[in-house]
Amino acid sequence: MAATPHVLVIGGGSTGVGIARDLAMREFDVTLLEQGNLTHGTTGRMHGLLHSGGRYAVADQASATECIEENRVLRDIASHCVEMTGGLFVKRPEDDESYFQDKLSGCEECGIPAEVVSGREARQMEPHLATDIDKAITVPDGAVDPFRLVVANAASAQEHGARVETHSKVRDLLVEDGEVVGVEVEHDSGPGLRVHGVEGGREEIRADYVVNATGAWAGRIGDMAGVDIEVRPSKGVMTIMNVRQVDTVINRCRPKGDADIIVPHETTAILGTTDEEVADPEDYPEEQWEVDMMIDTLKELVPMLEEARTIRSFWGVRPLYEPPDVGSEDPTDITRDFFLLDHEERDGLPGMTSIVGGKFTTYRMMGEQIADHVCNQFGIDRACRTADVPLPGSEDFSVLRDYMDEFGLRSPIGRRSVERLGSRADEVLQTAGPNPTVCECEGVTRAEVQDAIAQSGSDLNAVRIRTRASMGNCQGGFCSHRLASELHGEYEEPIARRAWDELLQERWKGQRHALWGQQLSQAALNYALHATTQNRDHDPADGESLDFSAFDSGTDDRTTGAAGTDVAADGGHADGY
Amino acid sequence: MAIDSELLVVGGGLAGLTTAVTAAREGVDVRLVSYKQSTLRNASGLVDVLGYTPDGEGPLTDPFAAIPELPDDHPYRTVGVDGVRSAMDVFDEVTDYRGGHTDTNALLPTHGGTVKPTARYPPGAAAGVASDDRDVLLVGLQSMTDFDAPHVAAHLEAAGVPFDVSGVTIQFPGDLQADAKVTRYAKLLETDPATRDGFVERIEANRSGQQRIGLPAVLGDDDHDRVRTHLESELGAAVFEVPSGPPSLPGLRLEDALFSALDSAGGSFETGNPVVDYEGDDRIDHVLVEKSGTEVPYSADQYVLATGGLVGKGIDSDREGVYEPIFDCHVDHAEDRYEWFDGDVFGDHPFARYGVDTDDRLRVLDADGDPQFDNLRAAGGVLGGYDYAAEKSGSGVSIATGYHAATAATEEL
Amino acid sequence: MSDAEDPTTFSPAEPTTGEEFEPVEVFPDNDDFDLRPGADNCYKCSTCDTNCPVAEVDDDFPGPKFQGPEQWRLTQTDDDYEIDDSITSCSNCLRCDNACPSGVPLSQMHNTARGRYVDEQMSKLSVEYIRNRILANYRTSAWLASKVPRLSTFVMNNSAVRWVMDKTMGIPKERDFPAFATETFQEWWAKRGGADESRRRARQNRPDDADPSDYKVAYFHGCYSNYNTTQVGKAMVRVYEELGFEVVVPEQKCSGTPMFANGMLDDAERHAKVNVSSMSDLVEQGYDAIASCTSCSMALRQEYPELFDIDGIEKVSENTYDSVEYLRIHTDIADRLSEATVEGDLAEEFAYHAPCHGRNQGLERQAVELFAELDGVGIEDVGDSCSGISGTYGWKSEKYEISMEIGQPMFDHMEDSAGETGMTECPTCAMQMEHGTGYDVRHPLELIEAAIVEA
Repeated sequence: MAATPHVLVIGGGSTGVGIARDLAMREFDVTLLEQGNLTHGTTGRMHGLLHSGGRYAVADQASATECIEENRVLRDIASHCVEMTGGLFVKRPEDDESYFQDKLSGCEECGIPAEVVSGREARQMEPHLATDIDKAITVPDGAVDPFRLVVANAASAQEHGARVETHSKVRDLLVEDGEVVGVEVEHDSGPGLRVHGVEGGREEIRADYVVNATGAWAGRIGDMAGVDIEVRPSKGVMTIMNVRQVDTVINRCRPKGDADIIVPHETTAILGTTDEEVADPEDYPEEQWEVDMMIDTLKELVPMLEEARTIRSFWGVRPLYEPPDVGSEDPTDITRDFFLLDHEERDGLPGMTSIVGGKFTTYRMMGEQIADHVCNQFGIDRACRTADVPLPGSEDFSVLRDYMDEFGLRSPIGRRSVERLGSRADEVLQTAGPNPTVCECEGVTRAEVQDAIAQSGSDLNAVRIRTRASMGNCQGGFCSHRLASELHGEYEEPIARRAWDELLQERWKGQRHALWGQQLSQAALNYALHATTQNRDHDPADGESLDFSAFDSGTDDRTTGAAGTDVAADGGHADGY
Repeated sequence: MAIDSELLVVGGGLAGLTTAVTAAREGVDVRLVSYKQSTLRNASGLVDVLGYTPDGEGPLTDPFAAIPELPDDHPYRTVGVDGVRSAMDVFDEVTDYRGGHTDTNALLPTHGGTVKPTARYPPGAAAGVASDDRDVLLVGLQSMTDFDAPHVAAHLEAAGVPFDVSGVTIQFPGDLQADAKVTRYAKLLETDPATRDGFVERIEANRSGQQRIGLPAVLGDDDHDRVRTHLESELGAAVFEVPSGPPSLPGLRLEDALFSALDSAGGSFETGNPVVDYEGDDRIDHVLVEKSGTEVPYSADQYVLATGGLVGKGIDSDREGVYEPIFDCHVDHAEDRYEWFDGDVFGDHPFARYGVDTDDRLRVLDADGDPQFDNLRAAGGVLGGYDYAAEKSGSGVSIATGYHAATAATEEL
Repeated sequence: MSDAEDPTTFSPAEPTTGEEFEPVEVFPDNDDFDLRPGADNCYKCSTCDTNCPVAEVDDDFPGPKFQGPEQWRLTQTDDDYEIDDSITSCSNCLRCDNACPSGVPLSQMHNTARGRYVDEQMSKLSVEYIRNRILANYRTSAWLASKVPRLSTFVMNNSAVRWVMDKTMGIPKERDFPAFATETFQEWWAKRGGADESRRRARQNRPDDADPSDYKVAYFHGCYSNYNTTQVGKAMVRVYEELGFEVVVPEQKCSGTPMFANGMLDDAERHAKVNVSSMSDLVEQGYDAIASCTSCSMALRQEYPELFDIDGIEKVSENTYDSVEYLRIHTDIADRLSEATVEGDLAEEFAYHAPCHGRNQGLERQAVELFAELDGVGIEDVGDSCSGISGTYGWKSEKYEISMEIGQPMFDHMEDSAGETGMTECPTCAMQMEHGTGYDVRHPLELIEAAIVEA
């Protein structure tokens, strides 16, 4: 065994990057593999709630206690990913009073700061709440940007020497002498940053230990080594509103149920969710009734949702797990706790541990426990530092700056940029030349896009999750071609074109679930812009070559272009022509 | 007392303006009422007639030849090839657009780096036709993210254009803010000689003998011809604008030209207040224009609905369905809203075809296929049965049906 | 007299709402502050930007799309999110509002953002604030000046005084202050016999079979017609009476337009409360509210209900009209004019400019259409550009050049047009037209008066 053990972590969601960062900080040699972009799986498809623990305070107090602890840690180490919005558990007249009391005492028991406010006070905090709200409990819920958090964890791991490979799918586990010794991986392009058109290929990566942190996909990795991991994927819908109707997390104060939470997320609000078991984490129906249920149920809390614009919906798949002997019928009964499955102990297969279940909010704690477990394998005793060292971007920074003086940016754009970049803002936004806004909906400038391109290769969806470019109300209608042009500085035109098409398709995918009213109008405008004005749908560069000579070549007055005869001879004004 | 006219046109986009201009030129007492500004201003300013068949065949060299092959419910079939030609004649008479010398489509470069088939183009875009084999230098501006000249040039090359094309990005003279609007560039080029000189100098410094210079569409507003010809004479090269948008100066120049044609022809118009309702059974007696809560009657003998499609809000929708908001005209559409679209971004989207159906005189039909009113016709984007974006037929359909609606309505007077 | 109350308690350096001021008082319903939902309508087409006369000449102003829906959407919490200071460059012409094909409440967004900026981010002791407050409260200055009109006109336009004002207050020395009338409209009205006299005259002119209840209007004359261009107010009264309408002139304050434009929403609300209260009583009695200034009519119709929650506000809004618009809807004025001939000093070729706030109400063509058939005069629309003055905007030294640059196309078109007399419904546009061309500028009511009222 090498002096520095090589640990291979499969899965670029919050759990995987959390483990990778922790191990890298404990001086392991780490490789992280992700089949898509970072956050490709469940992490990129969640509502962005930083739990206070309040949601578990009645039914699962252990989880609740972990949540409030980690909630405090993340405010510290991930300050540029977290917005402390605060949260409310709102009780409607028809909701059960005893449950409200249970919630309150549960919070107390778990150390979650909670106070009761009247309906009137709640509406002062959140004016769009329904007027018949009885009362509410305040809790320290927050909003977290999962993309930024995962990207920052991965960046930190890389700073500590880790290798991070995205768009790299594990095709097989290498098992030698009954022990997992590595993987065979297929790079979409690469290795290294993903660049369209660069040939990928298979690579054998040997490791001293493998951590399977693939969430809902854990069973597939298990299958490769013949071990059975019974993940029970459960889908949930999330509907994104165009603007924030609330600036506080709004929870419905009643026992488990669908459509009971609104999370203010960056410029939007996210409505969630449902809980329905599915067979395949990659292939499940996404249905109209689910979206309608979000709006029609949550409007009981915030009536204006009825008429408000949604910009897309997406589904996430929870990687729920319970030991096979429990046998819950309803996925909502399955614990949100996580399980460390040491395959040596469990299946007699040394060299690999899987981690299943768990929650986003406690990703760091899970990472710490896995890293401890890995340390034990190698008899290494090094302390975890992930709770103390801020993530890149979360070092000291202030959002109160003179944006025009310092960066030449209008204040809301500067403000949003700094909120996203945190302590990296100066490094990214101080530019010599003009720094125009590329995505106007989200206030993303060229400098920030270029910074993201440097991190992500030619993948515009990777640029998107880093910057939020194309995630606003036009859903890429007005900035997709601009983003492609930003890529073109670095990459050849055909690469930019493929990335562009991929972005358009990705944006369309979620927008389809919001196609009525304003968003259908937007989609029709985008379609006109892309197809009519840009002819993006019939790009001759993508098809057979054209016979240009068969088309109108203009009239014959070619000496000064085609305008010679049109000059107005009306005298005009003394403006120096 | 109602505000009265012979023909009332509801909507001030390309279709409404064509209707009103056509009728006014025939001496009809016409009034155009438009709520806010139309989507014409968003459009590139190119006037497409038909670039691709509904099956995606194309680019078509001769749009007129393809019209008889279109499906029966296509608005061009209602108007007929001769009707389309007559309509284009009116358009050619009231604008300075090019392309009328031939039936053949031209291919024009787009700011997205492709070329697209179009039947008419403004003089400012004329030198850009892609079937001209003279070399092209595309010049972009540093802060103008909508037109990246090197990227567009590389893309055009990949599209196989028959000329050498290269792109360069320059800084616009003066110290403009990065978010300066297109109108600011246009204004400076129009009114400030130092800006023009500096602009010419910077273009010249990056040019290596190309005979054509392509620029973003910011070369002046009211005085755009003078700006362009000034640049041409200073550079000794043909200068053209690459249409883009929104925002689109070529689009709003076209709008200006059509409003002034309407004014010259004696038509009345007003903008800013919506038509919200109507009175009448078999015939519309009058419509109601809402002015801050008050509904003012506007009466006419004949009415033309030219309020646009989903973008122009002549057609609207909610979670339950798709509808026409003023007259509640029948709009055929799938009940399940998940059948309104295709899964592919450029797939065959049913929503793109949603609109009202008409008889051969462009009278709006109800769900049973009978005229909803004796005196209501429809033109332009509010019509169903065609996907203007995929076909590149939006402007042509608006002009042709606007003309046809005006002619049919005039005959009834 | 309704106007007798003393407005001199006003002190520009101290908001009169004093310590009690809280945003929540301006917006009793807390969610009025939150205009983020208005951004739902925006689909980014930028039609608003291409209509902005300021962005066209000043790239420091980022245009209405940014100022409105984009900025609101990016705003996350009420407390520490700053409004970009470029809001002070918006002239409040509201062409964007009239342009938006998608129903974004741009005027409401701009007015609210400006109000917040002035409340929360602008020093109340700055010269700029004090100057803006004086400009916004024109009525107060005018009330004082009208007490000694000739002296005021002289002093205000004295070059030494103007130099000092430019340097210390930022009021451009190039501008001529409007002349103050020696007799205000209200004084004239009272002397003439007020509403009783009007009822008598209207009755004489009404057809016998007419229902008198259809012939009642309440005139909102605004500050200019009262203190400066009193001939417009008089023309309104004479024209309406000629057509059989009895006119009443209720108690009224400034419409609030200059206060909106300067972000002084609490000043505006105090005035609005008076105006709404007196107008809503009359509206209840069957009167329609008529304004001869298009900014006043827009304030009553659109800005009041968008910004304030005052009893009766909707009713007033729904029953307010521009003076010429009302005649077109409710009388046979078009026929009367097509049969009339104008002689004398108004038998002119007019260069007509449609004011932005009239455009916003869909009135941009009414004068041209009405007078096209009137014998003895000609009228030409000088195009759709903004005059550039936008009320108080052009009265700020730092905005003067921008204001004149915006106005240049209008000046050019006026010069190119046949006559040398201007026409517009807006008194400050008229001021700019005069300033840029030296033309005499008339209100359409004056021409209607010349056409149909016997001298």
